[in-house]
Amino acid sequence: MRWAATYHRPSDLTRALELLDALGGQALLLAGGTDLMVEMREGKHGGSHLVDISRLPELKLLELKDGEIHLGAGLTFTEILGSELLRLHAPALVQAASQIGSLQIRNVATLGGNVVHCSPCADSVPGLLVQDARAILQSRGGTRDVPVQEILVGPYKSGIQPGELLTRFSLRSASGMWGAFHKLARRSALAIARLSLAVLARHGDEGLSDVRIALGSGTPVPRRMVEVEEFLLGKAPTEEDLWEAGRVLASKMVEVAGMRASTVYKERAAQGLLVQAMMPLVRHGN
Amino acid sequence: MEWISRSVPRIGALERLRGMPIFGGDIQLEDCLVLRVLRSHRPHARILELEVEEARKIQGVEGVFTARDIPGKNLIGLITKDQPLLAQDRVRFVGDPVALVAARDEESAQRGLEAIRVRYQDLPAIFSPEEALAEGAVAIHQEGNLLHRRVVRKGDVASAMERAAVVVERTYRTPHIEHAYLEPDAGVGYLEWDGTLVILASTQNPHYDQKEVAGLLGLQEEKVRVIQAATGGGFGSKLDLTVQGFIGLALYHLGKPVRLVFSREEAYLATPKRHPLTIWMRTGADSTGKLLALQARIVCDTGAYSSYGVAVATRAAIHATGPYQVENVEVESLAVYTNNPIAGAMRGFGVPQVAFAHESQMDILARELGMDPLQIRRRNALQEGSSTATGQKLGSSVGILECLEALEPHYREAMSSWKGSGDSRYVRRGVGLGAMWYGIGNTGVQNPSTARVELDEDGRVTLFTGAADMGQGSTTVLAQIAAQVLGIQPDRLRLVVADTARTSNAGASSASRQTYISGNAVLEACTKLAQVLLTEASDLLRAPKDTLLLKGEHVADSRDPQRRVSFMELARRARKKNIPLSWQGYFDPETTPLDPETGQGIPYATYAFACQLAQVEVDVLTGRVSVRRIVAAHDVGRAVHPEAVKGQILGGVAMGLGFALMEEFVPGSTASMKDYYIPTARDMPEVLPIIVEAAEPSGPFGAKGVGEPALIPTAPAILNGIADALGERVYALPANLERVLEASIRAGHFPDREVN
Amino acid sequence: MNMHCQEPGPCGPIPVRFRLNGREVSLQVDAGQSVLHLLREKLGLKGAKEGCGIGECGACTVVVDGVAVNGCLMMAAQLDGREVLTVEGLESPVGLHPLQEAFLEHHAVQCGFCTPGMLMSAYALLARNPQPTRDQIVEALAGNLCRCTGYEQVLKAVEAAARRLASRSGT
Repeated sequence: MRWAATYHRPSDLTRALELLDALGGQALLLAGGTDLMVEMREGKHGGSHLVDISRLPELKLLELKDGEIHLGAGLTFTEILGSELLRLHAPALVQAASQIGSLQIRNVATLGGNVVHCSPCADSVPGLLVQDARAILQSRGGTRDVPVQEILVGPYKSGIQPGELLTRFSLRSASGMWGAFHKLARRSALAIARLSLAVLARHGDEGLSDVRIALGSGTPVPRRMVEVEEFLLGKAPTEEDLWEAGRVLASKMVEVAGMRASTVYKERAAQGLLVQAMMPLVRHGN
Repeated sequence: MEWISRSVPRIGALERLRGMPIFGGDIQLEDCLVLRVLRSHRPHARILELEVEEARKIQGVEGVFTARDIPGKNLIGLITKDQPLLAQDRVRFVGDPVALVAARDEESAQRGLEAIRVRYQDLPAIFSPEEALAEGAVAIHQEGNLLHRRVVRKGDVASAMERAAVVVERTYRTPHIEHAYLEPDAGVGYLEWDGTLVILASTQNPHYDQKEVAGLLGLQEEKVRVIQAATGGGFGSKLDLTVQGFIGLALYHLGKPVRLVFSREEAYLATPKRHPLTIWMRTGADSTGKLLALQARIVCDTGAYSSYGVAVATRAAIHATGPYQVENVEVESLAVYTNNPIAGAMRGFGVPQVAFAHESQMDILARELGMDPLQIRRRNALQEGSSTATGQKLGSSVGILECLEALEPHYREAMSSWKGSGDSRYVRRGVGLGAMWYGIGNTGVQNPSTARVELDEDGRVTLFTGAADMGQGSTTVLAQIAAQVLGIQPDRLRLVVADTARTSNAGASSASRQTYISGNAVLEACTKLAQVLLTEASDLLRAPKDTLLLKGEHVADSRDPQRRVSFMELARRARKKNIPLSWQGYFDPETTPLDPETGQGIPYATYAFACQLAQVEVDVLTGRVSVRRIVAAHDVGRAVHPEAVKGQILGGVAMGLGFALMEEFVPGSTASMKDYYIPTARDMPEVLPIIVEAAEPSGPFGAKGVGEPALIPTAPAILNGIADALGERVYALPANLERVLEASIRAGHFPDREVN
Repeated sequence: MNMHCQEPGPCGPIPVRFRLNGREVSLQVDAGQSVLHLLREKLGLKGAKEGCGIGECGACTVVVDGVAVNGCLMMAAQLDGREVLTVEGLESPVGLHPLQEAFLEHHAVQCGFCTPGMLMSAYALLARNPQPTRDQIVEALAGNLCRCTGYEQVLKAVEAAARRLASRSGT
């Protein structure tokens, strides 16, 4: 095991940003540690500077303001699961949180850590994408406010600059919307998603007045499936509609990801997953 | 009976509950050196150069050893000795050990490892048995790539097939499976004051370890002492040498305390796996569902070295019929070398794989004949007096019919009310059965056990057994047997377990043999001691022996229990008369070797039988399978400790569920625990274990065994359940998302939607 | 609480102070050293086990500030100011913890390697939810792998312990 050279625990955000500025690319952020420790065991990060941000109070923000939810990047998944506020205003995200890892992992792993790791299979990301989440990145030099999608540059490649710290997310409230998160995996806990789907929908007079869908583990980074949303918008979907939507979903997925060994399975399973995930919308009637 | 059929507190549970430092990796020795093994990263290569001088000079490194430093014979193996401890001139799989580093701490050991220079010249590498058997394939071992061929032949298969009303022919495949015991292999060693090498290791067979290490080092066996440390699961993987040989070698040269603890990654890379099997099977039955003939060709990928390959190929052949009477049998089973990881013993030795095949066949036959799956099994079930595929006439302990009967009400209920009451169009329910039989003990060879019991002058009884308990509970069961015979509470017994200096060989904890074989050895030893006590007491109490009983560490007159004498007093009297108070027991099952041409013979003295039922839900749109319930009826002869038997069944079902649905070790790809899925608590269904007791006359109090049987029926039952749900089958394990969805599509359950 | 090493550059070991099984502990840890390593190698507490080292098996589960965590994934330095409980801290001078007793009575121990982790996950569960449903117990233990028992007897033991603790506290 390669151990890091030094450990710092800044007591507040300002000091943290100063430290990050000074350390630049040598800084390794330690929040929940669930990804970091695994990487260190693999021999990476020897000689780096650990910056422990797990106790920064500024990263534990959780509030509703002007129809927007602000979530600190340091919130653990257990904290997310325990929040009545989030249950109301970010239902897909909360459902996703319950399916991450194990209880031990959820107790320490953070939303920010999960996003920044940029795994194609990150469970929290689809739930953020369907709420047009924005990430607030702070540094000594200032603040950047970017859509979460922009941070997901590629598999395990984040768009965060040296010296920057992702401090919080802003989400449009999904209050009143129906939300779901479905994860397809090889076992019921401690499993990486084979495919995942986050859905938010609102019924209007003539059909769905709002529908948002994000796919995880199907493309190099999770993404909103706007084409599917456009297809379903305004419809009071029948099962047939869902099958067609599934076809659009799978088609777009293959277009973005290209043909891979897993495509034979995933292109069907993606359709199946969408139909299953959105079936309750059909039952609710027109 | 006071101590049999009783779930007494498990011996050893307390220490584990308190977190005491008893496992190989917990034992702390002062000034202990750390060992690390350098392993090949090439699958098949000649070693052109192996340079360790630089490594030897690294600060903190105290020794670097290669094959040249092995003083005895550098060849090990459980059946065939074809494996070097450290590669001589060739490596045969990725992970093959090449050198050993001993250093003061982890960092120096790592640096020492990195300073070793190896140059390999790749040889053609073979990754499938088919390639290995092909004309012109490179020989992985001198004698060629076929390790073993076992044939079981009886009757006239060809003409029987012609008479058959239905013939089903299919090919089944199973992958490499990892034991995934929770405790990565670990051990420590030190030199005793008299020069004895003492090794404490996680192991299933300390006496084998002792013998093998002594051979490697050219020492007398008594100069090597192996003590089983608390062992965190084994399931067959800890039968081969893992850490013991390396510890011995370092001790031999350095004389300093050493420890070797595998990381999980190293355990995955370096230790044996379950054999992948390809099973081609052809079964013929008449119109009433009676099996007429079975033909099978089984190919087992035994990997780079033989380990238990011979036993696996043989067991697979013997058990290929399933627990059914079949008069005409033709089975050929091959164990083939490849450059894949070593395949060795894993819970079931080829029978879990072959049961998947024979049980699938039974269901397919049933479907073609329009027969009920329970009925077709009943029609063919082995009974007392039946003749097996190897021509063995079975005795009275054949409980398969009873198991089927025990399942029947559950099966009927599941089929009639549960199956039809699913509420989702896209989740289909299915019910499947899986039956099995399993021979107890090593196949057709001697595999005796011995035990010793001793009474001291204070009247304390000590039981000495070499049987390694790796969590299955053998120590407790053996203590119960001793307790029963001697009329003493199990927790009053002193126990000395699995220490080659103090216990004699009980054979390996494998083949589900310890209750039956060591149990009998303990029974014999204790019976002898009991006789001595009864004789003495009879003399003292002036009462006939048959009126006396042993209870509470006394011998009492059953007609007047106040008249009694303590063990202590009897011991003293016996001592004065020079009557021995230490008695040995011995038991070897009655078997005969199998005929090399026909496989006919008596491979086992007794068999366990079982049938399990699985209720499954299959998501036809994604391939997800959810097992809702398993009912497991197991004939164990006699459940000496019912809760331990249930524990084995529950654990076996979990392992079987993993085998069925989610486990697949892919050499080169499966590197750590995040790559290999065993069931979590959330994956487990409701499990109802049912203990069936068809007493085995030759077993201690009628007991047989359950360790491996527990696992065997589960995957077949689940796979049959999936087939019942979908109407199409999966023929390769695991029945993972991809395979199940593919079957669902084949069956027409996935509405056809071209994606373009 | 301010830490040393505010300036980048090599720096010595990190002092931490925390409560371990009810007692104050004050020592120095290395950057990057895990809680599991600290417990096992420096504090001689071998109860928490390394089953995988990457948080996938739960054999290293300990309780930090009332919450179950994987000791292999947490840095020792993060223990500063915290309350830590390991399996060695479950028993009291008068005897075993009800969880340990229940595991014994319900035959929930086979090889025993996963047992300390199971106990600690169960302990954390019962501390925050004294009357858990079966589903909640499963959720709490889903991160503790076991290859021997198939979990059922463990789950039953936790249910029994919950009942026993409830009756003791008179609820």
